[in-house]
Amino acid sequence: MKPRDRVLMALSHEEPDRCPMQVSFTPEFAIRLGQEMKLGGDKLHNPHGGGNTYEMERALGQDLLLTSVGWANSYYQGAEDYVDEWGIGWKSAEYTTPFGVGRYTEINHHPLADDRAIENYQPPDPACPELYHEAEWMLRTFKSEYWIVGVTVTTMFECAWGLRGYERMLTDFALKPELAERLLDLPYHYHLTAAKKLTQMGVDMIWIGDDVGAQNAMIISPKMWRKFLKPRMANFISELKHINPQVKVAYHSDGVVYPIIPDLIEIGLDVLNPIQPASMDPVRLKKDFGDKLCFWGSIDEQHTLPFGSATDVQTEVQTRLKTLGKNGGLIMGPTHHVQLDTPMENFWAMVNTITQTPYAKL
Amino acid sequence: MDPIIQEIYTGVMEGQGDTVKEKIQAALAAGIPAAVILNDGMIAAMSEVGHLFEEGEYFVPEMLISARAMQAGLTLLKPYLKAADVQSAGKVAIGTVKGDLHDIGKNLVAMMLEGAGFEIIDLGTDVAPEKFIEAVRDRGAQIVAMSALLTTTMPSMKTTIEALNAAGLRGQVKILIGGAPVTQDYANQIGADGFSPDASRAVATAKELISA
Repeated sequence: MKPRDRVLMALSHEEPDRCPMQVSFTPEFAIRLGQEMKLGGDKLHNPHGGGNTYEMERALGQDLLLTSVGWANSYYQGAEDYVDEWGIGWKSAEYTTPFGVGRYTEINHHPLADDRAIENYQPPDPACPELYHEAEWMLRTFKSEYWIVGVTVTTMFECAWGLRGYERMLTDFALKPELAERLLDLPYHYHLTAAKKLTQMGVDMIWIGDDVGAQNAMIISPKMWRKFLKPRMANFISELKHINPQVKVAYHSDGVVYPIIPDLIEIGLDVLNPIQPASMDPVRLKKDFGDKLCFWGSIDEQHTLPFGSATDVQTEVQTRLKTLGKNGGLIMGPTHHVQLDTPMENFWAMVNTITQTPYAKL
Repeated sequence: MDPIIQEIYTGVMEGQGDTVKEKIQAALAAGIPAAVILNDGMIAAMSEVGHLFEEGEYFVPEMLISARAMQAGLTLLKPYLKAADVQSAGKVAIGTVKGDLHDIGKNLVAMMLEGAGFEIIDLGTDVAPEKFIEAVRDRGAQIVAMSALLTTTMPSMKTTIEALNAAGLRGQVKILIGGAPVTQDYANQIGADGFSPDASRAVATAKELISA
């Protein structure tokens, strides 16, 4: 079965030959994996600042290929301090794992920290033709085989907090709602322009994202989410479906988003990602929303992948296939980039169990 | 409750920093002791904020604005507390561990602990074990509170506890840990004294650790 047909079947709530798979990696894990797989060193692309190459994704048997336009591409730009095209400053910190040393980048300068800075702020131009060269090439090269995803994650809230500062943005929601609206509009318009362009170019799915969930609860109240983010998301999805009624829309938020899932379904969302099992019970999600919503992710990265055994990983994949993936509706993969602390046998247990377990044999 | 204290309480609950400062000045002018303003007005309000957070009524923005209002009031009140020799609930050195730059969780815990009357030494993010050691040895921290968002940085908590052991300081300090992937099991495994799943519950755990 072609990867794109496999995904389309799953997203139509049918069981394909096997569950479709999508996996991304941190740059350091990708180097480790590339060496093990003896790959040629294809150019990195940028699904969300990770270390993926199309060569690696295809060699693993992945079914979705991603191309990203927007602020998320500012992650992992280098070990030294840097400033991205939004004027947001970044620094990095080194961490050590049993499998080597890695770096994470985080924001350390917010150009709109001052309330008045927004008056003279110019966001980058989402109409620049070179932003879409990779998407043009990969659609031309891979669309006949693969399910192509245009990534515009960090769609409004996350990019706005990068511009403004996280705690400042959260307090703006409570104390300066008009400023919060203006801040959200900057990345919203940018990423909407990019997502519309990618949809016009023919991607199969647009992936939007903004983390509004923490480990045990939402970060902001459902009421605040409905005031600031829901109307923008609703319009975003509606504009994409107006261009192509067949295009699917996936949304990423870490953590708990249970209280807003009915709202997400109401505004036309097709796929929810990443389903952190320690935060939201996959069985309950399938029972409550499985007939209206598809899921993407669900393999635990807070315990099973880094600290479990290969058997634990295999068992978790099989359990998900029988629950969250029953009757289709699931694209399986880890809940974030595979991290450098993941033992290689656990990684292969995940990939091999997904790719070698036919639905017919469950 | 005195009406002015009630207004301070409400100001903190609603995150109105200017109101809190104004009412503290009025309370001081009316001769209300600084300790009463702190305990009955501000700490009581932050305790209710924590309660509402646990109940799912308050979320991070509400907690942040209350904590900011509390801090604004505290800055004004501190000289009076010092003059009256009001003691803090304990001294906590807090930081996000080495390799990790995420600070919202750590900041919320620091704010809630401050809101409960603890003195906070905020060591920031990407904090090496030596910095925690200095805070215990040179600045008298009674609790070391460590945060990590990621499984790749979480092991720095263990490294820090080992470093405190090696420095001969482990016996004089309690260790409190938290962060998305952190669990009670992990706390037991690395020999931490306490674990908290969120900023509000960190206050209760810190109080238990201090009185233990």
